[in-house]
Amino acid sequence: MLKIKDLVAKVEGKEILKGLNLNINPGEIHAIMGPNGSGKSTLSNIITGKKGYEISGDIIFENKSLLDLEIEERAQKGIFLAFQYPLEITGVNTNNFFKTSLNVIKKARGEKELDAIEFLKLLKSRASELKFDNKFLSRQLNVGFSGGEKKKNEILQMSLLNPKLSILDETDSGLDIDALKIVAEVVNSLKSKDKSFLIITHYQRLLNYIKPDFVHVLMNGKIIKSGGREIALELEQKGYENLNK
Amino acid sequence: MIEQLKTDFERFFNSKKTIENLDLRKENLEYFLKQGFPNKKNEDWKYSDLNSIISLNFEKLNFFYDDEVQKKPDIKYIDDIDCNKLILINGKIAEINFDQVDKQNIIILNDNKSDFSLENKNPLIYLNNALTQNVVKILIESNYQVKKPIVIYHLLSENLKSTLLNQKVEIVLGENSQSRIVNIFQENNNKNFINSTSKILLARSAILKNYKLDISYNNNIKYLFDKIELDENSNFEHFIFSQGSKFIKNEIECDLKGKHSSAFINGILNLDKSNHHEIKTRINHISESTKSYQLIKNVLKDESKGVFQGKIFVNKKAQKTDGYQLSKVLLVDKNTEFDAKPELEIYADDVKCSHGSTSGNIDENSIFYLMSRGLSRVQAKQLIIEGFLLEVVEQITDSEIKKFVEKQII
Repeated sequence: MLKIKDLVAKVEGKEILKGLNLNINPGEIHAIMGPNGSGKSTLSNIITGKKGYEISGDIIFENKSLLDLEIEERAQKGIFLAFQYPLEITGVNTNNFFKTSLNVIKKARGEKELDAIEFLKLLKSRASELKFDNKFLSRQLNVGFSGGEKKKNEILQMSLLNPKLSILDETDSGLDIDALKIVAEVVNSLKSKDKSFLIITHYQRLLNYIKPDFVHVLMNGKIIKSGGREIALELEQKGYENLNK
Repeated sequence: MIEQLKTDFERFFNSKKTIENLDLRKENLEYFLKQGFPNKKNEDWKYSDLNSIISLNFEKLNFFYDDEVQKKPDIKYIDDIDCNKLILINGKIAEINFDQVDKQNIIILNDNKSDFSLENKNPLIYLNNALTQNVVKILIESNYQVKKPIVIYHLLSENLKSTLLNQKVEIVLGENSQSRIVNIFQENNNKNFINSTSKILLARSAILKNYKLDISYNNNIKYLFDKIELDENSNFEHFIFSQGSKFIKNEIECDLKGKHSSAFINGILNLDKSNHHEIKTRINHISESTKSYQLIKNVLKDESKGVFQGKIFVNKKAQKTDGYQLSKVLLVDKNTEFDAKPELEIYADDVKCSHGSTSGNIDENSIFYLMSRGLSRVQAKQLIIEGFLLEVVEQITDSEIKKFVEKQII
């Protein structure tokens, strides 16, 4: 589904990613772990299409390069990023925005757009799975939401948009243990043979609830180790610095 | 242009059998002639040099026109609000279509008696005093709550071209009365200069919600001066949406004369092309326990220019004043300009006053966030801009009109 080949990314001449390779097949859950500044967020930004990076190498999604596509085209193709720091957008009603977003994506996929009633029904059922209070849906997007509510709000959008590849950028930070379990349940319920997840995290805690098929360790812009879940546990014990000792 | 003005004044003078206050008019004309159109050397006009705006836009300017209009121009009526309709053509009432009960409690008339008492003596007000042919008066009886909003359509006759039109409006709300007024500017596109002054008086405990919407695009130049006087316990809510005209200076002078009176002045400049609009306010806290609140938001695109000059003045008697002022601007394109001059002048010691001004571009991270949800860059920007402006619309306390305004601008 996603093939990253020799990805190098620079910001203002400084190399952040230094030749990264990653292969995610349909139905797989991958976790990327790494210390601060290792390039985790850069990677998720680049897959999503954020501007401002000098890039070489390639990112192939469903056999086509993503690099020429605009941010919204990538979203319409089924790539979703749950932001580490979701933005507060003043004056934009959460509910209306979700509907616009979902219908734009449905339209691009040639699916039938939802009318107000169909949309509300879907939204309510998805929000209740996340135990997300309906009152937030009529408020301005993320404005005045707590850290945990913002993160849940990201997962709610993921669940509405039903993407093929979901990237969760440190979704666990800011979530208490109950919220973490709920989020994990939703992710697990969305898991299917044609959907993939890329989970970016510092800690292995989240991986107790969402079981990854592969774990990669990202340090200094490169994946230095890949394997199964045991790597996450090893990291928890040794820390990043001593991983290879 | 000045010669034209003198000749046109003569024509005006000879056009009617009786002209009220002729001597005063002549005096005002002299004052104007001494100063001419204000330019940037005048501190109040520093950011909007009217003199050069006029010479850029008009080769010739007529100062006289026949205010007996035969033909009504096309009007785009508001059909989603059940309202009282008042149609002004060239500053004169052409049609009144009011609810029966409302009509019995409101006096509306064209009057040739002008009021020369406006204290703000800038050249345009002198000119307005000298040449206004007609005063529109709206008087609301004491203790009467006007049922339907009064929608005033401001129109120009089709044949009015390159003309400086002077108009005066007087609105008086009797004690304990209430009204909502929506001003819709739908002038023609014939390069006219509209010089309009209104005087709004609120007696004790009166409430007026006054909305001014300049939406449709036109190449006219406008100066809209509002003087508001508030008696004890009265409440004035003002909302400006300034968009369509080539140039507008909205000037508001508000006197909080009575204890516990309050004024809420909110405005939006939503500009593109090379349009240039200004909002200038002066709130005079004259009595104690008065309150003022101002929120002005500006969105500037293309090569547009926005200006906000706001002053909160607190008299030494006006203890317990509560004054607040905030202006924010989004500079969407790089060739835009915004000038802000917020001022506090305070002579009392027990007051709460604050002001602030922020400016910035649209946050790229916010655009990225919205685009990552499938929206195009244009859609994302539009959504952020609308959201930015909506905060001002939210200040409108009348839900029916809030809904209407929201629909108009979004």
